[in-house]
Amino acid sequence: MVLANGWGWREMSVSIVHTLRVLKPAARVVLVALTGLIIGLYANARFFPGTSPVQPIDFSHRIHAGDNQIPCQYCHVQARRSISAGVPSVNKCMGCHAEVATDRPQIRLLANYWASKEPIPWIKVHDLPDFVHFTHKRHVLYGIECQTCHGPVETMDVVSREAPLKMGLCLNCHKDNEVVNGTDCWTCHK
Amino acid sequence: MSNIDRREFLRLVGVGGVGVGAGFMLAESIKHPVEHLIPYPVPPEEFSPGVATLYNSVCRMCPAGCGITVRTREGRAKKIEGNPLHPVNQGRLCALGQAGLQVLYNPDRLTAPMIQSAERGSEQFIQTTWDDGLSRVAQRLAQASDNGKNIVMLSEGVRGHLAELFEIFMARLGSGQLLHYDFAYPHSLRAANRKLFGIDQLPYYDIRHSSYLLSFGADYLNNWLSPVHYSLGFGDSRHGNDEFRGHFVQIEQKMSISGAAADEWVPARPGTEGILALGIAHQLLALDVYDGEDASDWRTALDAWSADTVAQKTGLPSSTIKHLASGFAGTERALAIGGGAAGNHSNSVDTLVAVNLLNYLIGNIGKPGGVVFNPDPAIGGATKNRQANFRSMQDLIESAGNGQIDVLVINNTNPAYTLPQSAGFKEALASIPTVVSLSSFVDETTAMADIILPSHTYLESWGDDTPEPGLGFSVASISQPVVSPLYNTRATGDILLGLASKLGFDEAIPWKSLEDYLKDRWRQIYERSPRDPGDFASFWRDVLRSGVWGENRRMQGPIVIDKQVIDDMGVAEPEFAGAADDYPFILQPYLSTAMYDGRGANLPWMQELPDPATGIVYGSWVEMNPVTAAKMGLVDGDLVRVTSEQGSIDAPLVIFPAIMPDVIAAPIGQGHDALGRYARNRGSNPIQLLAPKTDVSSGSLATCVTRVSVVATGRRRAPVKTGGETRQLGRNIVQSTGVGSGSAGHSAKLDSIPITVESI
Repeated sequence: MVLANGWGWREMSVSIVHTLRVLKPAARVVLVALTGLIIGLYANARFFPGTSPVQPIDFSHRIHAGDNQIPCQYCHVQARRSISAGVPSVNKCMGCHAEVATDRPQIRLLANYWASKEPIPWIKVHDLPDFVHFTHKRHVLYGIECQTCHGPVETMDVVSREAPLKMGLCLNCHKDNEVVNGTDCWTCHK
Repeated sequence: MSNIDRREFLRLVGVGGVGVGAGFMLAESIKHPVEHLIPYPVPPEEFSPGVATLYNSVCRMCPAGCGITVRTREGRAKKIEGNPLHPVNQGRLCALGQAGLQVLYNPDRLTAPMIQSAERGSEQFIQTTWDDGLSRVAQRLAQASDNGKNIVMLSEGVRGHLAELFEIFMARLGSGQLLHYDFAYPHSLRAANRKLFGIDQLPYYDIRHSSYLLSFGADYLNNWLSPVHYSLGFGDSRHGNDEFRGHFVQIEQKMSISGAAADEWVPARPGTEGILALGIAHQLLALDVYDGEDASDWRTALDAWSADTVAQKTGLPSSTIKHLASGFAGTERALAIGGGAAGNHSNSVDTLVAVNLLNYLIGNIGKPGGVVFNPDPAIGGATKNRQANFRSMQDLIESAGNGQIDVLVINNTNPAYTLPQSAGFKEALASIPTVVSLSSFVDETTAMADIILPSHTYLESWGDDTPEPGLGFSVASISQPVVSPLYNTRATGDILLGLASKLGFDEAIPWKSLEDYLKDRWRQIYERSPRDPGDFASFWRDVLRSGVWGENRRMQGPIVIDKQVIDDMGVAEPEFAGAADDYPFILQPYLSTAMYDGRGANLPWMQELPDPATGIVYGSWVEMNPVTAAKMGLVDGDLVRVTSEQGSIDAPLVIFPAIMPDVIAAPIGQGHDALGRYARNRGSNPIQLLAPKTDVSSGSLATCVTRVSVVATGRRRAPVKTGGETRQLGRNIVQSTGVGSGSAGHSAKLDSIPITVESI
């Protein structure tokens, strides 16, 4: 086998063996373990980013907000009133799904929750640390689009976190929009 | 150079594999933990998640009756502040009021009706249902009532419509006695007003508009009657207006917070405050301040109280008496108030009569900055004064001891803690066949109950209130549940209604719930003031929204003092309990800022609140003058034994510069042997030392007349303080100069306030 750079894999493997061979056995073990550690970290971040967790019901924002054009705040009614956007009550879901698509297995799951008056344990996709004070009300009333932070949710079957919800995102936006006291520490950390 | 053999290769593969696994798990562990978004199955109507809802209600942490605004989030009470619309506290609230949340969320709260399964005091409770609990109590009540035996309802001081419900219930029950018992109720002040003015109530003292306040022992900034309101008044008078700057004089033996804030601090001998007041009255007449028709009668009556006589009795120089009198007479809108130690002696009614006399002589009755009497309470009808003083409690204990009481129902009051041990309350309980408690906590009294029907905390119940003392006009406040009940408890009113229904009192007490009862009563109030716009529903909503309601009704009519009262004017020398040789000190227990009469001891915030004068948190202490301590060879932090004829307590000694040499002071509030994990076995209770001695005429407990001895135990127990050092150590943090100006005045030393009286 010949690789693109003209080296055969044999030469390559020989070079690693050579590298290992010149090291003392203990150092050899440490090197291999560290390499493994980095591979593990990378693999976790690459393949299990946790940005689109598996939800108790396979709810699709694409069908609701995309295909059927339901406005975001029809379900997330608290967004313009409260610090948290809120998640619709089971009652709200059943408002439509008592009639709509009642035969689908995922809707039956919903109906089961409703019948037992149990809340659906949704998993948070967008979560800020407790030391950040963020209010939806302020941002929504100013006219920031939901998609600015949440990404094109209306195209997602499974919601995933697109924007890195880190401080840079907040600060850049606050600077671009020339928010009064927008870069003051106490504006968000209070 | 070793080659990589098979064994080595396998080892490296193994190590590499472990490394990958560790890396993976490390990445996993630094991720955000999974958080859930839990929706409501059905959204609540009362609140939106993430949005605070504020409710106005009434504080019940002390009897002042402040209005509160409770911030709730997602149906949980988060913060209590003062209700800005309430005239008593005007948006402010004291520390004890703020700690009301810890009453609600207290882990030692009773969560369901209980029955004591072993002997009383064992605290072996078994849980039962409300139906069973109410049936048991109703059956005992019915039995006692049928057999003509006595039933005693011993409640905390309830007011408003709940007080009326108690009255209706007891009246329907027939053979019953209804008593309110609050340790700190100012019986002698009430008796003094009755005696001098013929008006049986606590008037409003308008400190706010007064520019010269003569306070005889009343710690109005800390615990006297309505401390939040008077603190506001103090602030306004001192520096809240452009017209005048109030001058404050405090006459007491142990410097209170009000004393520390005063312009002049005058230590008269214990129990001679009334004599001092008569001396000042004598001077006022000499200054021709009073020009009423009966001026000559007053001159005759007060003739004996010349400055020299009074100086000799009070231990104050006669110049001080004249100086106080000219200050009082020479200032517009002067006011005299009395309470604290001055209201807790054998002669306290006469003392407070003499203090009130000063107000009468300068003519400030019914005027701004003076004494304003209150109209009848706005709600609850003219409920009688049910407050039991020490003498009535002694009668109760005696009749219990004689087996005359069959059922004792105790509502949220704790006489087993707040009565002196020598009164024998706990022993008397043994002779009462059935003891029922409606308390939310297992306090010392509830521990002795057979059946506990636990009541809601005030943040979970409906109710209404009229502040006492009132504000000179008619005010009522309404309290509403700010959270759903946390446990299987019921509001006190609902317990009464439940008992009434079990007893078949449906005709006299037809209401199904406390809320119905209150609405019914408020509908009557609505109907008597037709100027209120809209229908009852909107009136009710408005009252709930503001939390307070009032009428512009004031007390009318001039005050005339009976000739007999004038002729009898006089204050006897104070009597003390115990021989001065064996017990050289006079003990002055005082209501703690944090715990009031002991009810705050189960609240961790209150345990952590530093005492404003000494900075001490947790535990008890005894305060002593530095000179006395030095003579006895005692230093700060020595554990001393304080002994009276009635018993003894151990407490650490605190050297307190502003206390008279032969007086020691100790805060009330600690030393519980029940009341939950935060209160139990912490500090000691000075009430236990008190002799069963009362004011001669009113029968209220004279808490400041017990003589004690102090001896070192040889051990040390330094109290926990927030400040390490009370002296300046040459740092010149607080600069001071002598009274007067320049070199003529004596220079005040910071570690010893010079007290010039001789020991008595």
